Amino acid sequence: MIARHRKTLAAVALLSLSGAIGLYGAYGVADAADGIVQPGQQSGNSQGVQAPATQPQEDPAVARGRYVAIAGDCAACHTDPHQGKPFAGGYALETPFGKLLASNITSDKATGIGDWSEEQFTRAVREGKGRHGENLYPAMPYNAYVKVSDQDMHDLWAYMQTVPAVNNQVVSNQLPFPFNIRLMMMGWNLLFFDKTPFKPVTEASADLNRGAYLVQGLGHCAACHTEKNFLGGDKNDRFLQGGDLAGWHAPEITGNRYAGVGGWTSEQIVQYLKTGSNDIAVASGPMAEAVTNSTQHMSNQDLNAIAAYLQSLPGSKATKPQPLTAVQQAMKQGANVYSANCSACHNSDGKGINQLAAGLGNNPAVQAANPQSLTTTVLQGGRGAVTLGNPTSGAMPSFAWKLSDQQIASVLTYIRNTWGNAAPAVDAHQVAQTRKDLKLPAQMSADGSAR
Amino acid sequence: MQRREFLSSALALAAASTLPAARAEVVSGGQPWEPGQANLPALPAPRQGGLAYFTQAEFDTAGALADRLIPADELSIGGKEAGCATFIDRQLAGDYGRGATLYRLGRFVKGTPEQGTQSPLTPAERWRKGLVAIDAYCQKTFSKTFVQLDGAQQDELLRGMESGKLELGSEVETRELFEQILANVREGFFADPIYGGNKDMASWKMIGFPGARYDFRDVIGKKGQKLTIIPTSLIDNTL
Repeated sequence: MIARHRKTLAAVALLSLSGAIGLYGAYGVADAADGIVQPGQQSGNSQGVQAPATQPQEDPAVARGRYVAIAGDCAACHTDPHQGKPFAGGYALETPFGKLLASNITSDKATGIGDWSEEQFTRAVREGKGRHGENLYPAMPYNAYVKVSDQDMHDLWAYMQTVPAVNNQVVSNQLPFPFNIRLMMMGWNLLFFDKTPFKPVTEASADLNRGAYLVQGLGHCAACHTEKNFLGGDKNDRFLQGGDLAGWHAPEITGNRYAGVGGWTSEQIVQYLKTGSNDIAVASGPMAEAVTNSTQHMSNQDLNAIAAYLQSLPGSKATKPQPLTAVQQAMKQGANVYSANCSACHNSDGKGINQLAAGLGNNPAVQAANPQSLTTTVLQGGRGAVTLGNPTSGAMPSFAWKLSDQQIASVLTYIRNTWGNAAPAVDAHQVAQTRKDLKLPAQMSADGSAR
Repeated sequence: MQRREFLSSALALAAASTLPAARAEVVSGGQPWEPGQANLPALPAPRQGGLAYFTQAEFDTAGALADRLIPADELSIGGKEAGCATFIDRQLAGDYGRGATLYRLGRFVKGTPEQGTQSPLTPAERWRKGLVAIDAYCQKTFSKTFVQLDGAQQDELLRGMESGKLELGSEVETRELFEQILANVREGFFADPIYGGNKDMASWKMIGFPGARYDFRDVIGKKGQKLTIIPTSLIDNTL
């Protein structure tokens, strides 16, 4: 750190002669050269992307393990985004069944996993068993991590042992009766936990197999992007064909050209995962966190492999319906609302601004059968993923105070059926329900009379 | 010091002293606000009866003043119907009325016209004292309140205030009062309807102002052509 600090001072002294623009460039390079970021450093605010201390004499297994931890996005749950120490747990996961707190997985002996054996650790990650064989809840995606290879598990263990100990006692199980009975998960595991390790497809390319390994295993993409049954198990026949979570709809990400990413180039997918946005879409909501914590730090080769695998999936049978025509009242109102409120950033041609404001035409998320993410975004606003490649990202303000439920429904119907898009109309009742669920204010009165 | 010298030395200073610290904020971290938070226009809550600052009599007088300054004609509705008095009432109850951004610690010395108002009064106080003085003058001269005068008499009084020929007494600076009334009535007539005036965007429709829009790239090339842009206000359920 001291050496780096000195380097910075020297750079400042030198560049103060040549002006501010030069300075900027130099810092950009310095940041990029710092390489992989320590996972778990992301919080929702300005301390988002931090460069790690480089350790010259690091064990290669630890370096590989750090990458495994990044690809597995362990920090998403095990690091509390609100000023939590890396991997110290305590972050509350809201499940349909109740609240679970992510555990402390630092090397602390008393409250973390410092006293665990490698076997116990591996069993927890891949089989969902606690240190003493008790069942973990599948909020921990062991049903995906079961695909992680022995080598990666070993490296991950090597890395986790280097994570600084943090004493933080977490009582994970905050579920109500009867879900708080861990033994119930035995039945769940029987029904939904497929223990098969990852099997490469022999006739597929190494690239495709690598992509499948990352998507099915470490990436645990299915946790959000696959629909769940009423017991929270994956509907495996609808793998990655879109799923609902509180306030959001994770769209289909298969090769389906209408609903999935089949119409994207692999460069577009890689850019999205690397920087948080491309010329079509901006990652926001839970996906923004996934990009910031995980995918932006993955190698281009791995991201290309992921893109190739996703596009190889046939996906759902969803096909483009006939677009709703402009004669309908909602489309007219939607066009007016769009032109006054949205076009400044998203453009009248719906193309948005690359890396800043999402394009709306041909964007699968915009045409998803379930418009939940759109409704949530218009009502509460959103922030794009913050990454090293796109450090300030874009943001959208909340329109809850400005637009009525009907106006939001109409403008969403409009963007879902313009610029080549086609999708079912959005209902004002759904907007009203989301407004209520998110506890957002009602539209203000037009003359400011009622509050 | 030459301008160029000044600029380059300032830049070097800035680079050496402040930029490394500023860098952390500039380079990473997204936008400085959370989803779900909105900066709403600050509107004072109306008191009982719907008024925020004025008494009913003051409100009626303000409406009558607005209607003489912007009378209804073939171009638009008048200032009273447009809600100028409501706009002024709400503004006087808020930061503007309190003179929140004015230096008001004295000492107060009469200045030149270019120096603007040098009064210890806040806008809200000036309105209140001014309306008392106007009605006192009307009572003395016509044995009526301002509201009870006919249009010609009201105009005559306003002309007197504007020209400085009429003095409303030692309590108020008559010309300053007139200028404030005129300015506030105009503001109420042209401000966004969310603030209580400009009913149904009457003034915007009159002058062809498109309102609360912020993207004109599609029409910027249509120089000299008639643009049919529907005006819109901040909260507009007619869209």
